[in-house]
Amino acid sequence: MKRSRSVLLLVAAVIAVLAPLSLAAYNLKAPFASQPALLTSIGQSADVEMAKAIINRLKISFTMDSLVKAQGLASSNAKTLIIVIGGSSKGLGAAGISADAELERTKALLAEAKKRGMKIIGLHIGGEARRGELSDRFINAAVPSCDYFIVVEDGNNDGLFTKLCGTKIPLDVVQKISQVGEPLAAAFLK
Amino acid sequence: MKKLAFVFVLFVAALSALSAQLPVNLYGRAASGPNGVVAAAKPEASQVGIDILKKGGNAVDAAVATGFALGVLEPNASGVGGGGFMIIKMKDMTEPVVIDFREMAPSKSTPTMYLGADGKVVPNSTIEGGLAVGVPGEVKGLLYALEHYGSGKLSRADIIQPAIQWALTGVPVTVNLASIIKDNYGKLVKYENGAQIYLKDGLPYEVGDVIYNPDLAKTLAKIVKEGADAVYKGEIAEAIVKEIQKRGGILTLEDLANYEVKIRKPVEGSYRGYKVYSVPPASSGGTHLIEILNILENFDVKKLGFQTAQSAHLWSEILKLTFADRSKYMADTEFVKVPLAGLTSKEYAKEQAARIDLNKPLAPVTAGDPWKYESGSTTHFSVMDKEGNMVAVTKTINYFFGSGVTIPGWGFIMNDEMDDFVATPGSVNSVEPGKRPLSSMSPTLVLDPQGRSFMTIGSPGATRIFPTVAQVISNVIDFGFPIQEAILAPRVWQGASGALNIEGRYPASALDGIKKLGHDVTIRGDWDAYFGGVHAVVYDYDKGVLYGGADPRRDGQAAAF
Repeated sequence: MKRSRSVLLLVAAVIAVLAPLSLAAYNLKAPFASQPALLTSIGQSADVEMAKAIINRLKISFTMDSLVKAQGLASSNAKTLIIVIGGSSKGLGAAGISADAELERTKALLAEAKKRGMKIIGLHIGGEARRGELSDRFINAAVPSCDYFIVVEDGNNDGLFTKLCGTKIPLDVVQKISQVGEPLAAAFLK
Repeated sequence: MKKLAFVFVLFVAALSALSAQLPVNLYGRAASGPNGVVAAAKPEASQVGIDILKKGGNAVDAAVATGFALGVLEPNASGVGGGGFMIIKMKDMTEPVVIDFREMAPSKSTPTMYLGADGKVVPNSTIEGGLAVGVPGEVKGLLYALEHYGSGKLSRADIIQPAIQWALTGVPVTVNLASIIKDNYGKLVKYENGAQIYLKDGLPYEVGDVIYNPDLAKTLAKIVKEGADAVYKGEIAEAIVKEIQKRGGILTLEDLANYEVKIRKPVEGSYRGYKVYSVPPASSGGTHLIEILNILENFDVKKLGFQTAQSAHLWSEILKLTFADRSKYMADTEFVKVPLAGLTSKEYAKEQAARIDLNKPLAPVTAGDPWKYESGSTTHFSVMDKEGNMVAVTKTINYFFGSGVTIPGWGFIMNDEMDDFVATPGSVNSVEPGKRPLSSMSPTLVLDPQGRSFMTIGSPGATRIFPTVAQVISNVIDFGFPIQEAILAPRVWQGASGALNIEGRYPASALDGIKKLGHDVTIRGDWDAYFGGVHAVVYDYDKGVLYGGADPRRDGQAAAF
């Protein structure tokens, strides 16, 4: 009897350990974002294309403009701005924009979005490979303006996103890119 | 209960360990044995080569089998749609032979084919899409080697079947491959045929996933049955041409049918009594490797110390001089006269060495290096058996995942080797029909002072290739390092101008000295694939053991028996 109780305790403990790995335990408690959304890149990495594939699956109404400027928000009827952060020298080069200019675009865009009352959702889905000096410049500049943030776990190994989000910005950490969709969908009002 | 609690603690600890980010695994990369060693960028590919040796195949049989397997296991770097160079020295050969299966410019190519209406190069046109594709040489090259230098004991089926098997049972997605797929997502997602294979429901594969490619298995099975004609004529050739032209390319059925491997005499030199053989143009790599070693020989490298400020300075100066020569002289020798004898001569090296001041850097030797954007996405493998038969192969589809153009129904990616030409007219390396673009690939063989097979070595890494190979050779010959230690050691790279690039682990004690000498320094990652991925085998005759070394900067692992 004593032995079977011990086994039960062990099973319960194992379940307790595994539960957070398999269940959706998100920090965002209620949907807040309205459609349509505008998807853009901050740093011009290909990660924005991955986000596009995810959002397409979610059937969220959105348009994408990787280089949208603050002035571009006026002609957009978007109510939510989704930013995908990740610096890429190759991407910046292909877009014909310097890192400094991209940073200026970012600051102006986020300020204008706030002014217009848009909700801002931030994504960092490139993992540890999409960190480093270039990406971190964009991360530090953009994360504090977000209303909600989702990061793929190994991009937050050093806790930078946890620190930047603090207690004011709900932060959800997922293990894989393919898991970004669930919390992102949950952020949108039906 | 205490026992159960202990088990639980262990379980939690194991779980934490599994979920933690793994560092680069430095263990188990090397292998040694008395009969044969294969060192390649994927452990499964090295094992394919060893299995062939165990079946009674020779080093060439093993190399060809490894080559086909790598096309499946490392599809981002090389394969049926690519090309490369192989250098072979069988025990009974007086001199090695080079098989040049480098891609060739299609017959409709022109020096202005990449220019837009404004006279400027159309962005990305040399890198992505049909116009970036050169006529591939891999299948003809590998099968030429098998037919002319293989043992004849094993059939084409024996050699290619392991690759077919891997295409069917699936390629494990490693940390390295997952990262490469993510980095190239933008390209992969544009080409639906490649995306179907190399993306998982439109998103990057994750570590631990498996990538299946039955279409590629079908292509390889057809090669088993029909030989090279399976790819260069008939339905696969038609599919290649159709897909490339659909993507804006100019490659024709005649280009494929007319492709020929070139059998070349190696460039040769020596370094402190060791004989060095490598590949001639259309690769610049072998020639400049010998030029570097010749200049290096004029200095007491051991006295300067291992990875000191002075030794980094010396490498920087030698590389500046070498890259200046490369920019000026190097191209396909069938189209341009290249002073190969001069570049590899000891006298010229002495003159160059005299230009080096050990106390201050040379001013930039040229205004710029037109090849600085050459891709580093290639693969190298080395084979040696107990007879001392040696093979070194470097092959590529150029940038990772090549042009992005994937042949529907046949599962292979076409190269973007046209990017290795200068995209504007007027250079020795400008595009011409039938010309082979300049490469840095340097598969290399080294004989010891007694004339015995000693080392087979090479690396991917674009313009870092021959400087990296030279540094590893120096680590072995000058400092007596075992091959694995020689590969692990941090590296440096310097172009004709610009900053001196230093791998992150370079001794901190040297960095101040390097800066004080006047160098502008860029410190790169601790284990940075920028500096290549060396795979090499060294024969220790005293012990009767072959030692294989492989590079943790990629997924390298040697196998032996």
